[in-house]
Amino acid sequence: MGWETPVALYMMRGLVTTLELTLICSVASLIGGTILGVAFIGEAPALVAVVRLYVEIWRGLPLIVILFFVFFALPVFDVKFSAFWAAAVGLSLWGSAVTAENVRGAVQSIPKAQREGARALGLSWPAMMWLVVLPQAVRRLLPPTLNMLTSLIHGTSLSAQLGVLELLESGRRSIQRLLLDVGNSHSLEIFGAILLIYFVICYPLTSLSRSLERRLSV
Amino acid sequence: MNLGYQLDPAYVVRHLGELGDGLAWTLVLTTIGLCGGIIAGLALGAVRAYRLPVFSNLVAAFVELIRNTPLFVQIFFLYFGLPKIGMRASAFEVACASLIIWGAAYNAENYRAALLAVPYQYEEAGRALGLGEMRTFWSIRLPIAIRFAMPSVTNISVETLKNSALMLAISFPELTDTAINLVAVSFRVFELFIVIGITYLVLAASLTQLMRSVEHRLAWPA
Repeated sequence: MGWETPVALYMMRGLVTTLELTLICSVASLIGGTILGVAFIGEAPALVAVVRLYVEIWRGLPLIVILFFVFFALPVFDVKFSAFWAAAVGLSLWGSAVTAENVRGAVQSIPKAQREGARALGLSWPAMMWLVVLPQAVRRLLPPTLNMLTSLIHGTSLSAQLGVLELLESGRRSIQRLLLDVGNSHSLEIFGAILLIYFVICYPLTSLSRSLERRLSV
Repeated sequence: MNLGYQLDPAYVVRHLGELGDGLAWTLVLTTIGLCGGIIAGLALGAVRAYRLPVFSNLVAAFVELIRNTPLFVQIFFLYFGLPKIGMRASAFEVACASLIIWGAAYNAENYRAALLAVPYQYEEAGRALGLGEMRTFWSIRLPIAIRFAMPSVTNISVETLKNSALMLAISFPELTDTAINLVAVSFRVFELFIVIGITYLVLAASLTQLMRSVEHRLAWPA
């Protein structure tokens, strides 16, 4: 039997972990980011300041620094996390900060007259948001959200550095194993295959984002 | 906190030398990646905007390939994969190359869009004044496009700074790699991460300011 089949089967499990991590972070980032984003455009100055700090910190740091910080720092607070969950928390901190900023941008691009009109009709702030502003903002929110999801998928590869057995790490371990067993690491083929798999996953997302952007700009 | 974890701010002070070296490498990588990414991105963006046959399609494929795969995996591919076909490079060379390639792919899209956004009347006016095609490009279209693209190029430059942290994958001693190695021997997590975290935030803010002032300097009176 050639080396390809066992390596492919092993890396398939890594791919599943990558997809699980992506799913968890995407959901957490979207839900958390939307809540933070609504607070960001709210009318409570203290809340806005807190969200701004959150957004500036987690959006401004390199993702790998966030992952290492969560991985090393949480155990000190007696929070026992596996590397997988440390990566999930780190990626979600980043993703929710980016989403909050995107929500703010999308809502601010809605003409002010829409909000004033809603308030003049006697709608409360939540009703104005839910019925008037957010439905219009969602359309503008789609392209940057797809870009955020693409970056999250790319970001999951950083969890390999914490030892999470996802796609990249499964490839790296296969390479080490092949080097010991057969003396040829096949690193070119394996890293090439990983690039190809990420491409196949991300290309539809970025194309969709671009076509939505084009349609919105017309 | 458990285990009686005690903050020891003096630890960072004792290791300022190593952290300073790491910071210097981060700045070197960022500068090279930023400048290389802008110049290469501009060239690729022009190829795309003018739809040079064959080359334009090749550039489009290159841009899609880079933008749809993680930079982290690209670094591994360059450093551990390419030696298989005889292309061996040092960690520093791979670090520079991967940042330039990444920046070029993202800036190519920025400059393509900026070149296409220049109103065609400007080009017509240039030709009407008797300027050749090349001269119209260099003296009219390009200077305007460079200004149009500045805000997006600023964003990519800040990303390049943050991306330089990924070079810890190939043990290149930039700031994050230096801090991780210190954590490994001392477990001074909080002190080190607070210091490098603040450093990155300050660097990103300074870089943004620098790019904005370049943008202002270049701006024409409306």
